[in-house]
Amino acid sequence: MIDPITFEVVKHRLWQINDEQGLAIKTISASPIVVEGNDYNVGLFTENAELVTAGIGSLVHVTTMGDAVASVIGGAGEIQAGDAWMLNDPFLGALHQNDVVVASPLMRDGRVFMWIANVLHHPDVGGIDEGSFCINARTLDDDPPRFFMKILDRGELVAESERIFVSNSRLPDAVALDLRAQIGAINVATARLNDLLDDRGEDIVRDVMHQSIDLAERQVRDFIRDIPDGSWTGEAWMDGVRVGDERICRVALKLTCDGDTLRFDYTGSSDQVDAAVNSTISATVAGSAVPLYSFLCQGDIDWNDGLKRCIDVFAPEGTVVNATYPAPVSISTVGFRWLVTVAATQAVARMFNSTDKHRDRACPSWNSSSNCNNIFAMLPDGRRTGSLLSDHRGSGAAGRSFADGFDHAGTVTSYASSLGNVEGAEWKLPVMYLYRRQLADSAGAGEYRGGVTCEVALTPYGVDELTLKLTNTAGTEQTNAHGIDGGYPGAGSQSFMVRNADIDAHLTQSARLLKQTDLRGDLTWLPSKADEVIRKGDIYGFWAAGGGGFRDPLRRVPAKVAEDVRSGLVSTAEARRSYGVVLDDDGSADEDATQALRDQRRAEKRVNGRKHAAVPGPACTACGATGGVVQSRYPLCHAGPWIARRYNGDGPNFELQETSCSACGALVDVSEVLKKTAETGATQ
Amino acid sequence: MDSIDPAMGIRPRFTNIGVDTGGTFTDLVLIDDRGVIRTAKSFSTPEAREKGVFDVLGRAATALNTSVDDILARTDIFAHGTTASTNALIQRRGARVGVLFTAGFEDTMTIARGPIGRVGGLPQQVAMDFIHTEPPAPLVPRSMVRGVSERIGSDGSVVVPLNENALCDSIESLIAGGAESLAVCLLWAFRNPVHEQRITAICAEIAPGIPVSLSHQVAPKMGEFERAVTTVINAYIGPLTEAYIGDLDRGLSSAGLANPIQVITSNGGAARAANIGRQAVSIVNSGPVGGLVAARFLGDQLGHDKIITADMGGTSFDVGLIDGDTLEEDPRPYLDQGLPVTLPAVKLVTIGAGGGSIAWTDGYRLHVGPQSAGADPGPAAYGRGGTEPTVTDALLVCGIVDPENFFGGAYKLDPALSARAIAERIAQPLGLDLQEAAAGILEIVNARMANLIRKVSIESGHDPGAFALYAYGGATGAHCAEFARHLGIGRLVLPYAGPVFSALGVAIADIVYSHSRSEPLSLTGDPADASEAVNRHFAVLRDAASDDMRAAGIDPASCTFRHRIEMRYRGQMNEVTLDWPKPQFAAGDAGVLRGLFESYYEKRFGAGTTRPETPLELISFRVEATHPTRRPVLAALDNGAIAAAGEKYRPVYIRGTGFVEAAIVDFETLRVGEVYHGPSVIERNTTTIWLPPGTSATMDVYGNIFIVPEAES
Repeated sequence: MIDPITFEVVKHRLWQINDEQGLAIKTISASPIVVEGNDYNVGLFTENAELVTAGIGSLVHVTTMGDAVASVIGGAGEIQAGDAWMLNDPFLGALHQNDVVVASPLMRDGRVFMWIANVLHHPDVGGIDEGSFCINARTLDDDPPRFFMKILDRGELVAESERIFVSNSRLPDAVALDLRAQIGAINVATARLNDLLDDRGEDIVRDVMHQSIDLAERQVRDFIRDIPDGSWTGEAWMDGVRVGDERICRVALKLTCDGDTLRFDYTGSSDQVDAAVNSTISATVAGSAVPLYSFLCQGDIDWNDGLKRCIDVFAPEGTVVNATYPAPVSISTVGFRWLVTVAATQAVARMFNSTDKHRDRACPSWNSSSNCNNIFAMLPDGRRTGSLLSDHRGSGAAGRSFADGFDHAGTVTSYASSLGNVEGAEWKLPVMYLYRRQLADSAGAGEYRGGVTCEVALTPYGVDELTLKLTNTAGTEQTNAHGIDGGYPGAGSQSFMVRNADIDAHLTQSARLLKQTDLRGDLTWLPSKADEVIRKGDIYGFWAAGGGGFRDPLRRVPAKVAEDVRSGLVSTAEARRSYGVVLDDDGSADEDATQALRDQRRAEKRVNGRKHAAVPGPACTACGATGGVVQSRYPLCHAGPWIARRYNGDGPNFELQETSCSACGALVDVSEVLKKTAETGATQ
Repeated sequence: MDSIDPAMGIRPRFTNIGVDTGGTFTDLVLIDDRGVIRTAKSFSTPEAREKGVFDVLGRAATALNTSVDDILARTDIFAHGTTASTNALIQRRGARVGVLFTAGFEDTMTIARGPIGRVGGLPQQVAMDFIHTEPPAPLVPRSMVRGVSERIGSDGSVVVPLNENALCDSIESLIAGGAESLAVCLLWAFRNPVHEQRITAICAEIAPGIPVSLSHQVAPKMGEFERAVTTVINAYIGPLTEAYIGDLDRGLSSAGLANPIQVITSNGGAARAANIGRQAVSIVNSGPVGGLVAARFLGDQLGHDKIITADMGGTSFDVGLIDGDTLEEDPRPYLDQGLPVTLPAVKLVTIGAGGGSIAWTDGYRLHVGPQSAGADPGPAAYGRGGTEPTVTDALLVCGIVDPENFFGGAYKLDPALSARAIAERIAQPLGLDLQEAAAGILEIVNARMANLIRKVSIESGHDPGAFALYAYGGATGAHCAEFARHLGIGRLVLPYAGPVFSALGVAIADIVYSHSRSEPLSLTGDPADASEAVNRHFAVLRDAASDDMRAAGIDPASCTFRHRIEMRYRGQMNEVTLDWPKPQFAAGDAGVLRGLFESYYEKRFGAGTTRPETPLELISFRVEATHPTRRPVLAALDNGAIAAAGEKYRPVYIRGTGFVEAAIVDFETLRVGEVYHGPSVIERNTTTIWLPPGTSATMDVYGNIFIVPEAES
């Protein structure tokens, strides 16, 4: 057993060496997905591929990198100092084909002492669709190639491997630099680890590595043991799995806290599909762990394989959350892996919300859909350019038990995943933005409202057309932007095209007043997966989800609603409709009129209650009554104006279900539920 | 003969005065024409900052047995470092600003690139708890933002002309809304400033007297969010900064100072008072920069051209790096939570590790910091109710700090309280004995400081072992020999002027004006075109910097010009800044530049990280004009008449060894050239210097202490 002081000193040094690895990647990378989106990670591993310390990049990689390293160990053959392998096979541990893992052994005295690895999302690795989120793929044959190659041989770049990889990409310069970023990171970590080992010796460093994992496990188990046993559900739906197939599929989750273990059971999720949105089991485990790193470990417990030992993930084989070979999976990480995280985030928030001690960690939704837009174009000089836009990271997070949700929150998978500058996007791609603005009324209503999202619109600039590969996880009908305890869902993630628009007229007016429906031209709301050409004179626009609300919005302090109206985040109409707040002429809340309106709203709920039989439920959080709850259903747009625009607010499959206290009329739950008539791809 | 300096016997002139106003103390360094350095310290007066400056001058005058007016009348250069602008920003006490954005992008500051605006600039540990990171208070309320109908394209062409009628309405409504200062941040204005320039002209007509900050002038770089932040901060603190510096300048001038004062900026240079409103943002966070300027100056004297600076105070530990003449810079520093600016500043990396840092355990591990007990309640030993053990308490328990002689006896410390705090909070929960726990706290904090230094040097491609380490700041002396040893640094210097090092840097900072422009240029086309473009940009920037110098009353011919290029592989997201060693760029120089770029790469990231097939992209150009301030030649200390000190020893606990008898040496009794061996403690009235076994110290004629590892026998 190492003394706590040496442990702390060596552990911190390991952490810092790994941090250097991440810095090298961010410096060399040519990809906004990496530098702004933080879609990379770095790790140090034991000789058996157990993760000792992870970087602050994307949390989904924290869990999968080790699976990939284990595959490398299994397939590498003879191993020498300075060797490194690259791997992007989702059936060998990569999340999807864009995520290339580079792993290298650190040798001491001719033996593998430990492994260094990193993973980075490359902007294009082939496959039938630009950007490699293959929205047209039906089989694995349509997906990008899967590589397993030696990329460094005793320190030297293996030119043939690089050639194979680079020439399979539509963006060879970009992936060549990104691969160098990964190699540079390995170089940096190798040199620094050798220094550390020379300084401290192998035995101490090995012991610290193993003890770090053991310690994190102990901390997580202690934390879980402190939570009363129980079960909570989570759910997310996908509306449309590929271009031309708008099937409805489900991720169903039951989370159980059992002693010092958390079990994630995905029984009830839909069968795997002939589309690239499927998630492998490795990706599903990673997606499940995300809200635990974010809200349980935070900065207090190290991000390593200690957590993985405390969770038990079950997903039936052959489902969208445990797709088996040869399912196409190139969209996985923004497909069903994303929805696994959405469902897990909801279930984990419900778990924390069931305790007084940890309620402040409950956050039921956070960028619940990744509205990914790969834009490619041929430039006038004959070069091809392409990139993933970053604007979907302007999404909102759900309200918290003590304060509003964050506006433009990034993603729950990475606290630092940010939007790029508009100028950066316009420099990289031949586009011109018409606006990037906060989307009023996009936050789910609640005592603590969700965060608002931002909306953008753009048009080609300097070229006649752009290729758009729209890969929006979900949200054109139901939002998945869950609220909690009676808070409403936020805006759904959606995209639109305006053909033959009067661009000049739009540019010369004040965009703040613009509504999508005011855009002169032919407006179409797009499905979640779409393959489009944006021509000169067209406008393409989108936003990602808003955050859901926390508790009944009729409990929100009226002055806060007035402040939101003043800031342009909530309209006067929604202040009245969703929050029951009446504003006077100078924009302040009229307390008396508000009280009267709110009383009337609650009374209406109780009237509704007479119409529906009371069903048993827990004690009301507002009045404490235990007389049961009442339920009523509405079109989706009852939750806000930016939901299911494609269907004018009332989609074919889903509706909103409100559950209220039968005694006081307070909302206790708002959920998006299937209409009784809906057909789904779900397992029954 | 009203004031004779007893030490000199004649009336000297003062070549440089530096006054550095910090949060607690205002420090003064005064250098006379013989190179003698004098220092003074007084309390800062945040409610009336000028008063603090005159107070410290008064102290110096008293010590010299003369008047403030007399000192000022004999002073050539008066330079000032101030936290006024930093505090105004952090406490949100700036002007009411009206902002104009390109229509459609009015929410740029509010969207704030998402998490950048919320967690950007926070310590990683804090940011990782992301559900509890609240966004910072906005600088500008939403009601004070207007859109301007206009659009410049990414190629710099005018896509939509400026709608002047609507613009006038917007400006008038902002003024009606109480705007005291305006900021204009239009898309691509740095490529084509025509609309921003026109807006200035219109503002001058309809809102005369209201200062206008323009994004293409304040921060001519690609990236509208950071450019807007820089411009808006400038507008926000400009009026207040200008008023304070103006008042101080007039006050000193009427007290007899002949030349206008100069103000140190975050790039390590100084600016003339008259220009300060236009570049107020550059003063923010300039506080600790003086220390690096002083280190570079001292390095010149001592023959060190690669220096790492280490400054440990009560709450934090700051590290900076000097490579030759260059103070390492941060191209995009955060001025506050969520507020990154595109104004290169001297890079200082900070962690929460100071004398007041609290040691704690969560039952699993021993942590030190980042929480600090501050000055109140302070370490447990202060006896002011602090029950949590701090680094200072650990130093007491280990015997490194003398409870009777902390800060020259200014504070009386109670080591029993330290021992109790460490025993109860650390030793018992973790099953350690008291001294092991205390020494463990020191080892952890020393390792963290070593790691930070390692990070700063490695991140810029250097081996820390190749550097001299300059340690200053009240708490550094007790730790620096330990962390220098961790790092394999053989040259450790504790400067004589360490207690007022920032003020020394302020006193001798050069006048610097820097101009840059972002004009992306690919090196794939005709080499003659590229060289013509580079030369044109450099010429424009040199002219602009020369104009600034002339406006400050300085002949550009007396200045040195430094040319820099920010470049990357085409498509990359981050640039590398390289010095271009000459003012011209010939057609054949593209290959030279690529060579510089790739050698930087290989040095930093290792073999296999360059790619000859990928074209290079030059992103921006910068010219920095420097007018050197007259550097004093330091005089030797008068070290002749020191009484021999009696031998004194104290037990000091060393982890893994136990107690050893350490010699206790009074700084004032140190003899030039004599070797002092560890284990020993050198006590100075403001600091304690710990020499572990296996190290030794000597003092040079200027009073600087050098600590070196002793050859193993």
